[in-house]
Amino acid sequence: MTPDIILRTTHLGKKYRDRWASQEIDLEVRRGDVFGLLGPNGAGKSTTIRMILSLIRPTAGRVELFGRDLHREREKALQKVAGIVEKPDFYLYLSAFRNMQIAGSLTLGRTPESRKVMDTLALVGLAERALDRVKTYSHGMKQRLGIAQALLTDPEFILLDEPTNGLDPQGMKEVRELVRTLSVERGITILLSSHLLNEVEHVATRMAIINKSRMVVQGEVQELLKASANRVLFKLSPPKKSFSLLSAMRTVKDPSLTEEGIIANVEQKHIPAAVAALVKAGVRVHGVESRHSLEEYFLNITAENGEQ
Amino acid sequence: MLNLLYWELFKTFAKWRTYIGFIAVGVLIPFILWIMWIEGGDFIKYQLRSLQSEFLITGNLFNGWAIAQIIMNGLWVHVPALIALVAGDQLSGEATAGTFRLTLIRPVSRARFLNAKYLATLLYTAALIVVIAAMSVGLGLWIFGSGDLIAIDREGIVILSEADLPMHFLFAFTLAMWSMFTVASLAFFISALVENAIGPIIITMTVIAVCYIITFLPVASVEGIKPWLFTTHMNVWQQALRDPYDWSAIIDSVLVLGAYDLAFWGTTMLLFVRKDILS
Repeated sequence: MTPDIILRTTHLGKKYRDRWASQEIDLEVRRGDVFGLLGPNGAGKSTTIRMILSLIRPTAGRVELFGRDLHREREKALQKVAGIVEKPDFYLYLSAFRNMQIAGSLTLGRTPESRKVMDTLALVGLAERALDRVKTYSHGMKQRLGIAQALLTDPEFILLDEPTNGLDPQGMKEVRELVRTLSVERGITILLSSHLLNEVEHVATRMAIINKSRMVVQGEVQELLKASANRVLFKLSPPKKSFSLLSAMRTVKDPSLTEEGIIANVEQKHIPAAVAALVKAGVRVHGVESRHSLEEYFLNITAENGEQ
Repeated sequence: MLNLLYWELFKTFAKWRTYIGFIAVGVLIPFILWIMWIEGGDFIKYQLRSLQSEFLITGNLFNGWAIAQIIMNGLWVHVPALIALVAGDQLSGEATAGTFRLTLIRPVSRARFLNAKYLATLLYTAALIVVIAAMSVGLGLWIFGSGDLIAIDREGIVILSEADLPMHFLFAFTLAMWSMFTVASLAFFISALVENAIGPIIITMTVIAVCYIITFLPVASVEGIKPWLFTTHMNVWQQALRDPYDWSAIIDSVLVLGAYDLAFWGTTMLLFVRKDILS
């Protein structure tokens, strides 16, 4: 494994009795990536992250972190890794400061310096509440404290499992900005899981999609977006007549009638001619939109995967 | 390891429930002493009434040592519940709170983490016994003075001289601590099996109660298993109030209790290092 590969999972899987929660997961996260692990709820994202962080023992496959086998060299493999799994939970009866000391000491093998703890809490805006018990914190503050405890030991790789879950729009925006800051300014490699497509689309450089416990695809976000570049939404009336006309056009591929309108694959250069033909046939054209988004790609690929 | 132990002790002693045991002991022992003070030695006289018809008893038998022995006999049934209150929360409490997701993703082995927790549990147990010892003996001697001790049990009467009693009681509390380590180990083990705070306490006390019933059951068919039940050896501390010591009985009890400690700790370790953290 080259040093630039931070995480590699090979045929990773977890089986509970006769049900695979996650299987054949072959992830590759490179240094500097903001890697999005995308999938619907229950797809197996959290199970995968828990296996990477050694909370769950895999039934099959292996995990390598920084070139070290997690099973054989757990302590060394996790030395530069931090994470938040599902939601950050703390010792509620202790202050944020003490929680940070406890989390830090488990990584460093000694109690972290008070100044370092306070500086990290200041980074997430919690310095003034450092000595308050965590049970008095709001959900957003706990989320920030979770990020602070992850950053305390200067990790090179952070795993965030659904980091914006339960946050208001402002909180979600702050987390996205923080992810960008950590990646760009601190050079931290990040793996974040989400069922929110726009979250991954906006912050991730590479991604993988997990659906029904299996990994469906993995690659550069921009490359994956290109695959859906020709998807076009036609808003037409009457719908059935319009669908028949579009289906008959040789330049229009795979049309499907949806609640929004008709979605089809059409190259940009053929759109004017298609619209002209529709108008000539008496169809009213309310709009033509490019569906060049991860959402379309995700829905397509999960639907295809679901049909198999 | 020391750093891990420090933080486990910190967490243990930062919880309110940890102090319930100390508060209970801190209230109960002075209360018992106050009752004894009011009774003015009637209790001791009542206990020794049969002896007084056969022997001429002189000196102060209503002393701190006698009071300490009475307190030990009285509290010994309740102390396991106070220990289970804390030991039973060590692993189940973290599972319930979800804090394993904070701690077990760190580069520290689960075995070391568990050992630190187990040691913290034993240290809490030891601290509780030390407080019971200090309060019952210390306050007893301060209020009622010193003297010889007449220890009566199923095997007979022993008169322990005042000069030897500090060593006898030191030995008695050490053995008591050893037997309470088994209770702590049992509660700690059950704590690894369940994910709620109250379950380990109830299960621990149920196991102890069932074993006690078997221990005192006068039925021939269970005689064979009695020597192997930990409850049979829980009152090993009483052996320290004999002269001479029955070393064979003491060593047997210490070994059986130690074997239980090892078994509970070992099984907990096996379960914990393989446990999937799903909470």
